[in-house]
Amino acid sequence: MALLAPYLLADGRLPVGAHTYSAGLEPAVAAGLTRAQIPALLRARLHTTVVTEAAATALALRAALRAPVDFAPVQEALAARTPTAPLREASAALGRGVHRLARRLDPDHPAVTALARIRPRPLRPVTLGALGAVLGVGEEELVHGVVYDELQTIASAALKLLPGDPLDSVAWIVAAEADAARTVTEALAVRTPAELPARTPPLTEQWALEHDRRERRLFLA
Amino acid sequence: MPDNASAQQPGQPAQGPNEHYHQPLNQPRALRIGVAGPVGTGKSSILATLCRELAGELSMAVVTNDIYTDEDARFLRSAGVLPTERIRAVETGACPHTAIRDDVSANLDAVEDLEEAYGPLDLVLIESGGDNLTATFSPALADAQLFSIDVAGGGDVARKGGPGITGADLLVINKTDLAPHVEVDVTAMVADAERARDGLPVLALSKHDPESIARLADWVRAVLVRHRSGTHVPTDPGPMAPHSHSHDGS
Ligand SMILES: Nc1nc2c(ncn2[C@@H]2O[C@H](COP(=O)(O)OP(=O)(O)O)[C@@H](O)[C@H]2O)c(=O)[nH]1
Ligand SMILES: [Mg+2]
Repeated sequence: MALLAPYLLADGRLPVGAHTYSAGLEPAVAAGLTRAQIPALLRARLHTTVVTEAAATALALRAALRAPVDFAPVQEALAARTPTAPLREASAALGRGVHRLARRLDPDHPAVTALARIRPRPLRPVTLGALGAVLGVGEEELVHGVVYDELQTIASAALKLLPGDPLDSVAWIVAAEADAARTVTEALAVRTPAELPARTPPLTEQWALEHDRRERRLFLA
Repeated sequence: MPDNASAQQPGQPAQGPNEHYHQPLNQPRALRIGVAGPVGTGKSSILATLCRELAGELSMAVVTNDIYTDEDARFLRSAGVLPTERIRAVETGACPHTAIRDDVSANLDAVEDLEEAYGPLDLVLIESGGDNLTATFSPALADAQLFSIDVAGGGDVARKGGPGITGADLLVINKTDLAPHVEVDVTAMVADAERARDGLPVLALSKHDPESIARLADWVRAVLVRHRSGTHVPTDPGPMAPHSHSHDGS
């Protein structure tokens, strides 16, 4: 089991472009979300989009460890459950950074070469599955990373969008522990791409569409 | 990608699930020049000037980084110096410094997309969205960079240094036409800058002075020649001023 890899994956400083992403916070703020509502947003996402993303990541890791590697079923299942084009595009843009890192670490790994065959570009959970295989991370650790990253992304973006005490951000994450644990359990229970839950809250979709048309934004999505 | 048909090997299908853009083997990828410097010192204007001067002879594209994503891109598109689709803005998550140094992913994506859509390109200009003297480009993104300061910032700026001023491939002292109005002696400012830069070039520029614009364009052409011949080595001015230059104080 890899010692450092899970920490690398969870580190916001990992240079894969994630600092350009607010995990839906900027679109939500534009629609009127207040600072006091951020903990509720974290919980809402943990029970919806994050279950889908984390489950897809675990499926992708399993696919990455099989021979031959075939990401198409999970990529297609996830794309079908991400109906809003700007969200698919954001996921693909973030996936591109992860793909670039995986290529740098192990260009000939079968999971990395399989990523290059996917068109349109692989979504982030698919690339994370490949990176997890490259780094030798287990599926539980990988899913922990996805869930934690979502919380940290929103909490960090809040410092730019709804500024306040940075220590609050930490407290929000700690308070989300129980919900995060449920998300992990649910995500790991998904065994096949066909079972991937479609958790697409209508407001998340609508806000993402509005954000895509907005000028002067700070974050990709 | 009809533009890239010439890059295909004979017999290889033009379309396919694994189609990637490949630069022709005999030609290096586009030269990427970063334009950094404090807000308002004329970076976007320099990009517009370079497009105006060079777009006739070179295939060019532009990437902007801004705190608010698309201000600079909109300015450049409205300047009409390049087809609008060749000007891309990247989101920086309110961290424009990170986007050109610690994590250049979004910028690399934009450059690669432009090469894929319009390649082969000769030159990609990348504008930084930084707001101070310390933001410089990582060599992972820019092959060469120019740093812009202006006379309106005061004659002392060049002497105070900072990584861009001391280490950028070219230092531009901009808006020299304003010097008489802000009581700055351009010659002295250039001399100060040259002392701070250990022989690296300094260019006094004004968008109203065609001769200075010609020198700027010539500098880009010269870097491009070196880039193509493989003799240009990207150097990193670093995120901090070298200690050996910090004795001036402030
Ligand atoms: N007088 C004068 N003004 C200039 C010159 N170059 C740029 N400016 C003006 O300086 C201001 C800021 O320029 P801009 O290119 O947007 O700077 P940026 O923030 O560094 O991109 C604008 O009002 C420009 O018109 C110059 O050579 N002379
Ligand atoms: Mg500008």
